[in-house]
Parts: sequence; C-alpha cells; structure tokens
Amino acid sequence: MNDIIISTKGLAKTYGRGTKKVEAVRGIDLEVGRGQIFGLVGPDGAGKTTTMQMLCGILTPTAGEAVIAGVNVVNNADALGGVIGYMSEGFTLYGNLTVGENIDFFADLYNVPPEVAAERKEQLLRFARMEDARNRRAGHLSGGMKKKLALACTLIYRPRVLFLDEPTTGVDPVSRQDFWKILYEFLSEGITIFVSTPYMDEAERCHQVALLRRGQIIANDTPEALKGMLKGVAAELTAIPQTQAIAELRRMPGVSQMQVFGERLHLLLRDGSGLADAIPARLEEAGVTVSEFETTTPSLEDVFIAAIEDLRAADAPGKPVASLPGNGATQADVLSLTPAEVAGAEPAVSARNLTRRFGEMTAVDRLNFTVKRGEIFGFLGPNGSGKTTTIRMLCGLLPPSEGAATVAGFDISRQRVAMKPHLGYMSQKFSLYNDLTVDENIRFYGDVYGLSAKRLADRRAWVLEMAGLTGKEHLLAKDLSGGWKQRLALGCAILHEPEILFLDEPTSGVDPVSRRQFWDLIFALSLQGITIFVTTHYMDEAEHCHDLGLLYRGRLIARGSPAELRQNMKLGVMVEAPVRDPLAALAALEGAVEIIQSSIFGDKLHALVWEAEPGLEAIERVLSVDQLLTAPPRIVPLSLEDLFTLFIEMEESGRKQGVSRSETSS
Amino acid sequence: MNGVLPILKKELREIWRDPYTLGIALFLPLILLFLFAYSLNLDVKNIPLAVVDMDNSAESRAYVQAFVNTDKFNLKYYPDKPEEATRLLDQGKAQVVILIPTGFAQTLLGGGEAAVQTLVDGTFPTSARVVQSYVNTINDVFTARLLADHFAGLGVGNNEVLAPAVTAVPRVRYNPAMKSANLIVPGLIGVLLMAFPPLLSALAIVREKETGSIQQIFVSPVRPAAFIVGKLIPYGIIAYIELLLVLLAAQFWFRTPLAGNLGLFLLASVPYVISTVAIGLLVSTVTRTQLTAMLLALVLTFMPSFLFSGFLFPLFTMPAVLQIYSYLFPARYFIEITYDVFLKGVGLKVWLSQLLILSLYTAAIVALAGMRFKKKVG
Repeated sequence: MNDIIISTKGLAKTYGRGTKKVEAVRGIDLEVGRGQIFGLVGPDGAGKTTTMQMLCGILTPTAGEAVIAGVNVVNNADALGGVIGYMSEGFTLYGNLTVGENIDFFADLYNVPPEVAAERKEQLLRFARMEDARNRRAGHLSGGMKKKLALACTLIYRPRVLFLDEPTTGVDPVSRQDFWKILYEFLSEGITIFVSTPYMDEAERCHQVALLRRGQIIANDTPEALKGMLKGVAAELTAIPQTQAIAELRRMPGVSQMQVFGERLHLLLRDGSGLADAIPARLEEAGVTVSEFETTTPSLEDVFIAAIEDLRAADAPGKPVASLPGNGATQADVLSLTPAEVAGAEPAVSARNLTRRFGEMTAVDRLNFTVKRGEIFGFLGPNGSGKTTTIRMLCGLLPPSEGAATVAGFDISRQRVAMKPHLGYMSQKFSLYNDLTVDENIRFYGDVYGLSAKRLADRRAWVLEMAGLTGKEHLLAKDLSGGWKQRLALGCAILHEPEILFLDEPTSGVDPVSRRQFWDLIFALSLQGITIFVTTHYMDEAEHCHDLGLLYRGRLIARGSPAELRQNMKLGVMVEAPVRDPLAALAALEGAVEIIQSSIFGDKLHALVWEAEPGLEAIERVLSVDQLLTAPPRIVPLSLEDLFTLFIEMEESGRKQGVSRSETSS
Repeated sequence: MNGVLPILKKELREIWRDPYTLGIALFLPLILLFLFAYSLNLDVKNIPLAVVDMDNSAESRAYVQAFVNTDKFNLKYYPDKPEEATRLLDQGKAQVVILIPTGFAQTLLGGGEAAVQTLVDGTFPTSARVVQSYVNTINDVFTARLLADHFAGLGVGNNEVLAPAVTAVPRVRYNPAMKSANLIVPGLIGVLLMAFPPLLSALAIVREKETGSIQQIFVSPVRPAAFIVGKLIPYGIIAYIELLLVLLAAQFWFRTPLAGNLGLFLLASVPYVISTVAIGLLVSTVTRTQLTAMLLALVLTFMPSFLFSGFLFPLFTMPAVLQIYSYLFPARYFIEITYDVFLKGVGLKVWLSQLLILSLYTAAIVALAGMRFKKKVG
C-alpha cells in the first residue's frame, strides 16, 4: 500500500554559467509514498518552484533523475500527460472565461468523457462552495476563490499525483480551510499530493515534510519526528518592563531564540526544561515582574529556524548561534532598546466613519478606530477586505468618500501636503530600483524627501547600519536576497524620520529567519516612538502587534490586543485528536453539538469545542465508536488564525441568516 | 488532431469575451485604411502658384490664364516684386513662382523669344518633377496656340506646318486614370493584414506565458503542434474577416476598380492570412514578455510590408541587396498578386509562382512555430 510513487536521485538545476552561475537546486533525493501529502517547505528562492517544475517535466534538470508513477520524467516527460496535475504559483487560469468554462476547458484538454466531467464538475463546485459562482468570470473572483477554482481545474481530470506550488499564498484563512478540506477529500481516493508552502502551520498538515534551504534538503521527516529532532522547549511569558527582560534574557546562555509578540516574549530553550524552570526566578531577581509563564513544544517554525542556525554555525564556527533580537545581524543594536518619550498625547491615527466606495462597491465601510502613539497596530484581513484601500486613504493617496481621519494630527483630506513629511510608506511590492545600488537607492529617496546633504549623510549611515547593509553599499538592489531588500526598503521609508510608518504586507515571500529579523527591527522602531501601522496575511505575525483590527468586507469586525481577543471572545478551546481515518473522523464529529468546527491536520483532527472538559469527552466518545482515535485527544493553544477564521465564519453566517453574533454564539 | 478543439474553443471564447481586442482587430484596420488612403496621395493637384506679372499685357494675362485653366494650379498670390515672390517660395506658401518680365508681349509679338522664369520648390523631388513637367506642357500648349493664332491672322491657315514630325501617343495601361488611390487601397489590404493579425497572435502565447497559464498546457497531454494549430485557426478567422472588411471598404467606399477575378483573389488570400498569424505565433514562441513580442512583431511584419513590399516604393528602383531582402517577407508576394488582380486583371497563370512561394512560405512558418514551441519553461 505504501509504495513509492515519486522518487528522485541527485536532482539538480543550474541556471546561467560562469560567474553568473546560480545553483537553484543542488542534488535532491526524495521518496514519496502513494496516497501521501508531501510538503516541501522553504523560503522564497530556496528552489521550491524549480524542483516542482522539474518533477512535472516542464523544466529539464541539469543532473539527476526523477521517476513519477513509473515514468522517467527527464527523458520521457510526454508520458506524464494526464498522470500528473500541476497548479503553478499565482493565478493561472483564463480570467475572461467563467468558472464553469475554465473547468470545462481542462476536462476537454484531458479528454474526460462529457458525462463523467459533468458529474465531477458538480462535485468539485460543491466541495469548493462555489456553486453560485459558476457563471462568474474567473478574473473577478477573490484570491481564495481563484485558488479553489484552480484546484478544481486540476482535479477534474483526476491526476494520480498532484503538484501544488504555494497554493495558499495570499489566500484568506477561510478559503485555506476549504482548500485543505478538498485536498483531504481526494487523498482518500488515492491521489498523492506534493505541495510547497512557506507557511509552517500548513506544513503540519502534511504526512511528510522536507525543509528546503538554498536548493538543498536540510531535513525530511514527519512533522512529529522533525519536532522531536529539536531538543528543547519553547516558553512564553509576559514580563514588565519588557526591555529590561530582553536585556536579561540576552545574557542567559541557552536562550537560543527570542521573539517579541506584543507584550509576550516567545523563547526557545535549546537546553531543555531545566532552564525553563529557572527563568521566572532569575528575571524576578533582576526586578522584572513575570506573569503567565508557560512552556510548550517547539513549533515547526522553531525547528526550521534552529536547523538553519545550526547550518550557519557550521558554516562560520565561532560565531554565536543565537538569534536574539539584533544578534543575527547587528542591526537592532544601533537602535536603543529604551523606550523613547512619546511626544504628544493625541493618537497617531484616528478614523471616524471612514468610508470609500468604488462605484457600487463599498471597499471600506464606516471604520472607527484610533491607534496610540508608539504602538504596533496590526491591520489584518483576507484579500480584498479593504486593507490597502484604508492605508491609501490614510496616506492621502486616495480621498475618502465619507468620514474623516487624522494622521499625526493632520486631517487626511485637507492637510495632505503638510502631512506627508510625517509619514513613511512601504508598499506591498518591492518599491526600490533594482538597477540602482543600495547607496543610490538611499540617496534617491533622500532627494525625493528633500533631505539636506548633511542630514542625508547622517541618515544614510544610520539606515545602512540599521539594515545591516554596511559594506554592501555598492551592490545592485536586485542582487540582494529577499530579506535584505525588505530591510533596505524599510530603511528608505524611514529615511526622513517619519512619526508613523505604514507597512503594507511587508513580509510576504520572506523566509522565516528574515521575517523574525524584520519584526525585531519593527519592534525596535516602535520603542523609538515611531507608530507602526502594518498589514499582514501571516496570522502568526499578528502576535507581534500591540493592538489588532480585523477587517472583513470593508468592516472592522474585531478589535483588541491578541490577548484580549483570545480572552474576551470566549470562543472555546482547541482540541487535537490523532486519528486513523481523518475523513471518517471529520464526518463523525459533524453532528456533535459540543463541537463548533473541525478540520484535518495530516493524521490529526483539530476540533474547536465550547468548553474543555465536555469537549474532550465528546470527542473521545464519538471517535471511539469506530476506534478512530490513535491516541487520547489533548488541548492545544488556539492560534490567532483559528480565531480569525471563526470571526469571519461567524460574520458570514450572521450575514447569511440575518442573525446577530450574540445569538449565534450563546 | 487531438487537443486542437479544446484550445480552439477556449481561444474563441476568450476573444469573444474581450471586446477591446476584437475591436482592435476589426476596426483599427479600417480606420488606418481611411487614414492611409486619403493621406498617401501621390497625385499632384492644387499647386499653390505665385505670379509676378511685370508686363501686365493682354499676352501675359493670357499666359497666366493658361495655368489657371488647368485644375492643377491654384493661383494664390499676385505679388508686384520678384523679391516678394521668392519670399513666398521660402515660406512654403507657394510651390511655383512664374516671373513674366517687362516687354514679354512686345518680344512675343515682335517674333522674338520671350523668356519666362519659373521657380519650383524642389524639396520633394517627385512632386517637383511633376510640377516641372506641367509647366513645360502648359508652356508648349501656349506657344502652339499663339503660333496658330499668328498664322491664322496671317491667313496662312496651314496648321500642318506646325505639327511635330513625331508624336508619342501614350496610353497608360492598368491604371488608366493614373489615380494613386487605385494603387494604394488594394496595396493596403496586404499591408494592414501584416499590421494587426501578427500583433494579436504574437500576444496570444506570450500572454499565457506571462500569466503562467501556459504551464497548465505544458503538463497536459496536448501536443505542441495541436496547441499551435488551435491558436492559429481562431486568429486566422479574425484576420480573414479583417481582409473582407477592408475589401468591402475598397469596393463600396473607394470604388477601387477590380479588373480581375474576386473569387480567385479570396482564395489566394488564404495562405497569406495564415502566414500573418503564423509569423505572430512564431514571434510569441521566442519572446517572454508582451512588450518584446509586440515590438518584434512590428519590426518583422508591419515595417517590411510597408517599405519592402513594392507597396509604396517600386522594388526595381531599390539597391540589389534590399531587393533580395524584400524576398524574405511574404507581403511582397501578396502585394504583387493584389496588383495583378486589381489593376492588371491578369489570371492565375501570371501569378501562380507567387502563390506557390507564398504557400510554401506559410507552411514553413507554421512548421517552425510548431517546432519552436517546446513544452518546457525557460
């Protein structure tokens, strides 16, 4: 049953030659069993897409072999037609065709008999919850729907192996749930799924995970085994004053990773639980108040980062392994970790009934919120919910249709010109000039903001140091890696010392290590009194913020700090249940009243229950009927992503049935 | 061929859903036809004329009248001084200046040779040459009439004395009215077909490369040739409709005389239409972005069809190297066929070789595009 359907040996791809030679993939050996979900995880530029294209036979490898379902991919790619399905990154359907026509086209292309195609099409549309959208043009769908449609288009011809390249990047949490549900549905029919993703939490849904870094696989095992590889524990605590706690923790050997999540600190302790027990006492000794200290198992992301650090340590022995804020690169040290006096009591941003309509469509609907000075404000929401529109209005790039807002005390409608020097903006896409050097980019932005020669010289030195780009001044921007580019763009956005910094999806497509370094920087900037207004679709990043706003269909549906959102909403408890047959287990749980919602994570089920004890009991009861449980269920922390999925689903059901939220949740 | 039909159906649907592309494909050629047909006029008419008549006699006025009586000249200025006339020439207000000296009538009546100075703006050599020949002809006619009157007055009455010994009796064949529109409008059929269909089909594959949807085609069992043919047919149909529209406009608006057989012409257009679309597809197999595809298509199709097809500039006047170069582009063969059918009205026998070359050429381009299209990225 567990026979091998994908196998590769020394698969490698080199682009260019001579000095321009890039080794995108350097010898990959893999084996994937039939009916498995295999996850290829790694940052942008690690070689995920190249690997996948080679496996699909549309890119000729430089060296190595690959065999899929008995077909030699390298010299017999034509024989793969119909055996494999491939969903490439981005939107790859025909925007001018309707949903139904796109599916029909693929059915035609693969010679699916019309009766069979019609039946499968109905089934797929039902699974994707897109029956009502069949006559809409694909180009007009939301990001999540586009992805679900693309998946339906590959499943209409029932490939034996399905390759999915970052299928859920930029997709809202609800669509991601749907997407994974469809995948598990077809897994039970014997399809093998090979998926690449930058999301670590998605990797946990796979049976087997390979971590790819710079074209090489650095670890390859089940998520459980990978987590087991890392000896150590993760710890979380709230410490006041936070900056002093950071300074103390930095000095402690054995603390290998530290992240600031708003008021919470997240630590990775490589030495095990001995140190964990000692930490609260040692912090108290230094005059820091510690509360809500808890230890957890390290996440896959912790594992990934630790694996990369070990490699780095091997590359450059003698250097410290730790990646505390500022340690990975020297950048944050230039920024003092003492909070600056925040000038003025007025809020950094204040919006009253802020509304923007585009024709019939209301993109942003009566927003009311304030952002305090020096705060990191996270603006979250699925694609198309109005995040970018709001930022554009607040930056004075787009006039509001109704309502008003002030930014740094300036009215966004009437004082646009006066307001500009006080704010910085970093847009979603890479906004630097690829053909200019690091230095030229900085000078260009200095000129644009009209900095004097002397001030520019000061700020330039500061930005170079902050971004860790000293010594890289003469590199072309295009030759920098994703993380460096991001920091350079950030540097250019704060060259003129703005009071408020707007960051629109600053970390999409950046690898976990760089993302952490980026957030360290943002944290340090906020300590200096700069207000940060940031949008992100990485729900785990929301934890870094002091305050959050969840935007959905142009409306603010939730507000508060991460902790407040968790506590006040009393949404229930997340239970993880390891099961034998996830689909059967999911179906069995469907009817239980104690369970709000459940979804599949590899060979485990995540079920949200109203209350811990009755919930656990109900799950044990229901799943033991067919002996579906393989181990006792246990309570796991509710992630912000779970939380937001629920908020949105409640909002959806409220909208559909016209019932208010209080009625549904009581 | 397996796979042609799904591609073809999808392509037609996409084109139909995109009214802008369809509009560009069908109406822009018509707009250009009108612009070119009216602006590319090689006939010389309404030449602005300035006359300095210093004699101011009945004879000098009769001489000027001889110019005005033709519909070629437009007497716009009547300056007093020669300097003023030269200024008009400098400013481009007048194209021709005629200076009639004092004593013109006297010399003439006295049996002498009266000299009239003609100044012609030679900036555009072709039109200057035409103007010059007009002036000479009018001059000859005027002299002849004057002599005839003179002899009649003397009572000699034998006009035969004056008849030239040899007369050339020119008869212009094929475009007897020598109207340049009769040449330009049919010629534009070939030129416009080389402008738009390749542009559209060049985008057809590159657009799929840019959006990434082509990768789905790569992994599918569709053969490369089937993909190319599936793209070729719908764009070929559009190009043929474009041809028919231009042809209709030529017949019913410009009333271009059609000397030959229309049915044969429509048949001969088929390989040409396919070649235009196939060149676009070939371009789109070698380019990665829509911008480069468009530029390359323009350079490869529209420009040579304008300059090296014999449409505006006769090929036999070009240097040998460029003449050879012109054989590389199919417009040359098609425009020759067009002129043969429209102007000369000659049958298939005369242009069969052109048609064969065109068909072979087209087959080669299609085959090349099919071979160039690899189901691989990069």
